[in-house]
Amino acid sequence: MGYVAARGGEQAIQQAEQLFQQLNGPIDAAFVRAVEQFMPYLVDRVMGEGSLYAPELAALALAQTGGDLYEAVLLLRAYRSTQPRLAYAEPIDDATTLTLRRISAAFKDIPGGQILGPTLDYSHRILRTDVLDERPTTKDEGRITSPADLDDVPESQDQPGQLASFVLRPSSLPPVAGWLRLNGLLADLPEQGPLSPADLPDVTRDPIRFPSPRAHRLQSLARADTGGVLALGYASMRGYGLAHPTVNEVRLGYADVRLRHPISGAVFSAGRIRVSQAEIVSNAADQLELGFAATLGWNEVKTIAAAMLDIEMSKPAPHPAHEEEFVLYHTEPVEASGFCIHYKLPHYVTFGSILDTIRRVQAERDMVAI
Amino acid sequence: MTLADLAHPRQDYSYAFLDEFAKRELRRRMLKAIAIPGYQVPYASRELPIARGWGTGGLQVTLSLVGPRDTVKVIDQGADDSVNAANLRRFIARVAGVATTTDTLEATIIQSRHRFPEERLRESQVLVLQVPYPEPLMAVQPSLTLARKMHADADYALMWLDLYEQLVRHNTFTGGANYPVIVHQRYLMASSPIPRWDTPMFHQAAHLTLLSAGREKRLYAVPPYTDVRPIEFSDVYFQIEDQTGRVCAQTGAVSKFMNEVPQPDGSARYYLSDTGYAEKLLRRARGEPVEIGETYYDEAGQFYHDGFLK
Repeated sequence: MGYVAARGGEQAIQQAEQLFQQLNGPIDAAFVRAVEQFMPYLVDRVMGEGSLYAPELAALALAQTGGDLYEAVLLLRAYRSTQPRLAYAEPIDDATTLTLRRISAAFKDIPGGQILGPTLDYSHRILRTDVLDERPTTKDEGRITSPADLDDVPESQDQPGQLASFVLRPSSLPPVAGWLRLNGLLADLPEQGPLSPADLPDVTRDPIRFPSPRAHRLQSLARADTGGVLALGYASMRGYGLAHPTVNEVRLGYADVRLRHPISGAVFSAGRIRVSQAEIVSNAADQLELGFAATLGWNEVKTIAAAMLDIEMSKPAPHPAHEEEFVLYHTEPVEASGFCIHYKLPHYVTFGSILDTIRRVQAERDMVAI
Repeated sequence: MTLADLAHPRQDYSYAFLDEFAKRELRRRMLKAIAIPGYQVPYASRELPIARGWGTGGLQVTLSLVGPRDTVKVIDQGADDSVNAANLRRFIARVAGVATTTDTLEATIIQSRHRFPEERLRESQVLVLQVPYPEPLMAVQPSLTLARKMHADADYALMWLDLYEQLVRHNTFTGGANYPVIVHQRYLMASSPIPRWDTPMFHQAAHLTLLSAGREKRLYAVPPYTDVRPIEFSDVYFQIEDQTGRVCAQTGAVSKFMNEVPQPDGSARYYLSDTGYAEKLLRRARGEPVEIGETYYDEAGQFYHDGFLK
């Protein structure tokens, strides 16, 4: 049966979707809650690329698609289109953000301190196969009998999502860039008058054009495909770029979404969101230059690669893979994945047209041969 | 009698983590690297339980060299106490059961990211440097295929041109860490991201240096007593980082490589980058008996090979 048969097509797609659901099992509210609770980094990635901060809905999208990331991002983006824009939040202020992790690779110590926070960076990547056996392991110093022996971090008694042993407090951690500016190593921030968030160029409301306004660039990177940004950023890091990067600062935290009350004008917090941001500095002869990226949710790989691309895109003659237009068009996850899978659609009309051309050329060739 | 009685007890991990075939491959590659100083030898590079690009190249070399009677020191940016150094050290100690130390003089193997120790290494010691970019030509030729041809022809014209352009544009060389060197008058070599302060320490060194890049799957070596010279012109010279006027706030040491640490008031303080050396200076100041080795640079900032730095 042809997959585009005019008759029966509707029945076919219903059955295909049904088969997908049967293979992946039923989902319910408890399962969605479990995804939200136990897969926070996955949920963050979907929210960041979906550019909608809604952990419950992102978890639902993941459950509904069996974990297909691009499908989940598309679900969230499509849902986003149904939501009216009611208000604009105030800019996130580092000084009031609850920062869990703030590190700088540029200096051994920094004002406010290096805060390692929650990270697997320095863990030994050993599969905890004992978990599968459901047997507790004994730790015998010196000899390894099970992977758990390599992990001498004590088991946390906390419930996931609750951090009883880690005190969260607003920290006015001075930005490392501030010290660099004070010492003449980094250009001062441009003078900027009071800005209404509603006046910012918005990439979800205007099509992107090049060279793009900085707001468009940073918004595009914030919702960009993690893998795409990583691939292009890694090309820059490996040697196809012009930057000599150092991570000036990486931050993970909880930021208040501060809104202005429409009647009283008072600023209040509507809730907290997980945010991550990265600053990269690179040597530009007599000064440093700065690259920046931030996103919803905690995604260090994406913000570091994106901040690196921010520097590359600002160069006068970047590598073709680091031109702004190239980067921003090709790391848009919904457009890229959607177009990629569109090639599964029937193309027999265009293909027939191509076959006709080939046969015409063959005929001409054979005429000449005779 | 059951099959279980006849079988060996289950042993999930080999001594020093890597299987013996992986170690043998690495040892053979190392011998080749030592035989052709500065030449990049490709190797298979196994995945290790730390992130790729975090020292897996150096770690594979260390794990292939280490034996139960070794003493291992691990430093990152000169520091024994940084999280990355601590993590690698606890990993090596647990899988190889070796003694560890922070004292350069006691160590038989020193795995390092981005630094030489300040105290001179001896003939019996091995320095293992972690390498992010093994290809020194990458800045002028990102394709490794073409770069390998340039090495075969000893065609380093683009590097000399790049050096010349730095002078034309900025009146000074602008290279930072990872300064390119020429080994044994033949191969251009990436020195790994050590500061220029450390670059001369390769030259006619008594110890063996092994440099290994796990992500890029290349290792290379500088055997003992080999000529290693930073690229420079006959009338414009390679320059080390200026440490003049920098006094360690903890030990009072001078003429050593210092970390600049930003202070809340916008100023900076300086601390010895080599924490093992700093620790020994502090112990001596407290009157404890401690052996401190000869350093590459003396108190006046003079390098130990007279006339090498111009």
